[in-house]
Amino acid sequence: MPERVSEYRRIAVLGGVYANAEALAAVLADARRRNAEAVFCLGDLGGFGPDPAGVLPLLRAHDVRVVRGNYDEAIATGATDCNCGYTDPRDNHYARLSYAYTVAHTPAADRAWLATLPAQRRVQLGSHRILMCHGSPRRINEFLWESTTPDGLLRRLLADYSADVLLCTHTGLKWHRALDDGIAHAVNVGAVGRPENDGTPRVWYALLGAEPDVRVQFVPVTYDHESVARAIEAEGLPREFAETLRSGWWTTCLENLPAKERARGRF
Amino acid sequence: MRAMSVVDAPTPRAPFVALSTLWLVLTGTLCNLRCTHCLNTSGPDAPWLPPLDGAVARRAIAEAAALGVREIYFTGGEPFLHREILPLLETSLAIAATTVLTNGTVLTDATADALAALARASRYSLEIRVSLDAPDAETNDRVRGAGTWRRAVRAIRALDARGLLPIVTATEIDGAPDAYDRFRAQLSGLGIARPRVKILPVFPVGRAAGDSAARLSDADLEGFDRMALQCADTRAVAAGGVYACPILAGLPGARLSDGDLTAARRPAALYHAACLTCHRTGATCRNA
Repeated sequence: MPERVSEYRRIAVLGGVYANAEALAAVLADARRRNAEAVFCLGDLGGFGPDPAGVLPLLRAHDVRVVRGNYDEAIATGATDCNCGYTDPRDNHYARLSYAYTVAHTPAADRAWLATLPAQRRVQLGSHRILMCHGSPRRINEFLWESTTPDGLLRRLLADYSADVLLCTHTGLKWHRALDDGIAHAVNVGAVGRPENDGTPRVWYALLGAEPDVRVQFVPVTYDHESVARAIEAEGLPREFAETLRSGWWTTCLENLPAKERARGRF
Repeated sequence: MRAMSVVDAPTPRAPFVALSTLWLVLTGTLCNLRCTHCLNTSGPDAPWLPPLDGAVARRAIAEAAALGVREIYFTGGEPFLHREILPLLETSLAIAATTVLTNGTVLTDATADALAALARASRYSLEIRVSLDAPDAETNDRVRGAGTWRRAVRAIRALDARGLLPIVTATEIDGAPDAYDRFRAQLSGLGIARPRVKILPVFPVGRAAGDSAARLSDADLEGFDRMALQCADTRAVAAGGVYACPILAGLPGARLSDGDLTAARRPAALYHAACLTCHRTGATCRNA
């Protein structure tokens, strides 16, 4: 049965929690302070961070509506890897460690719940039809980077999926593009579970409003990243993951970054 | 009734989903090098697959844009031997992220400057993939020709110095499990701060073609997601038509239309031994 399309004026949308419950809690508190009527999460609840079991209770407590990510799908189906698509053995090494940890620390009930998550959600924001997905509406693990996503592709996706605004995550880097004089929009909401590869530990989510035109605001959030970094080390996860949270620079799984995005980072 | 032979077995097909990736085999098989594993037998002699006319390439780019293409790749042969390479890159970068596959040996400082200017002017990424087949000069030059390692490394440094972050692309000639690490170490040693490496398997086509009659069958593909094959969302434009993928560009069995991309949006026959390699390794010719 298709989900009922709810109508909102102001919503918060986040992605890429990556088992960082501390950051998620800070983001949810921030969204509440900013009077978001509803909060949506575009998936990838696990991976990278130290607290997979701490994520779902927070999402439930804040009535967050969740879209399935490739990581969630892999965990739910008992897949052998995260379907992240790495070919470099170094990236696969980190991905394997991260995935094994997440599997081991995700309660069975949470895995069952992950299996129930929809691949897409639709809501109405004022007069605008919003489509939410993880990677892209056509593939859960498609990377929509700012520098490799042409306007023509976005127009085609919006037309094919009957939407005015496309919201996605999966890359971990936020961007927004208005098309056709602001009639259509594409927004990658970034990630709350790890920083933006910009040399600061803050994380980001998106607020969208209908005023009545679509307004997109990216919101930076600081949290106790040091305690999460220490937890990563205490759990025996790679110290490179902790370094990323402290420094704000991505240290692993860089192979999929296109040239422009890669050039902005340190590694 | 006789048993079904390999020849009799129906050829499996890959569905076509959407045109995500466009390849332009810009110089056909015209190349200044004659690598021992070259998958389309490129070289300096009269090319068996002629270069693309610039107008044909521009038409393909425009058609691909209208179809919602995601990325465009230029290959050959050696694309920098095409006299229209820079204006064609500019056209391509106006509509999508663009990648050039080069051996790096004819790339001058002036060209590197021009590429950097194109990259700065576009909102989309320009990727330059420079081929090396080993982290050491001796092994590399046995495959690619004398002096090629030194000239390719010079190009890599010139591109890196201009902020272009080239991707070193190697063919898995020795199957060494630590190849990525060795390339990264070599590039770091050359002063490349963000070493980027992609390694592809050897495809049994062109100069590396073997004599195996093995082909994919529908039974091989049972339970396999055929949409994961790159020919499900890729087309290659070369002289004479549109082909299922860049590996098989120019081969009659992979030809899907006479040059019209829209008409080539149909299932591709998985008829070649190279299709087995794609299926077995999960390889993609894309950057990632």
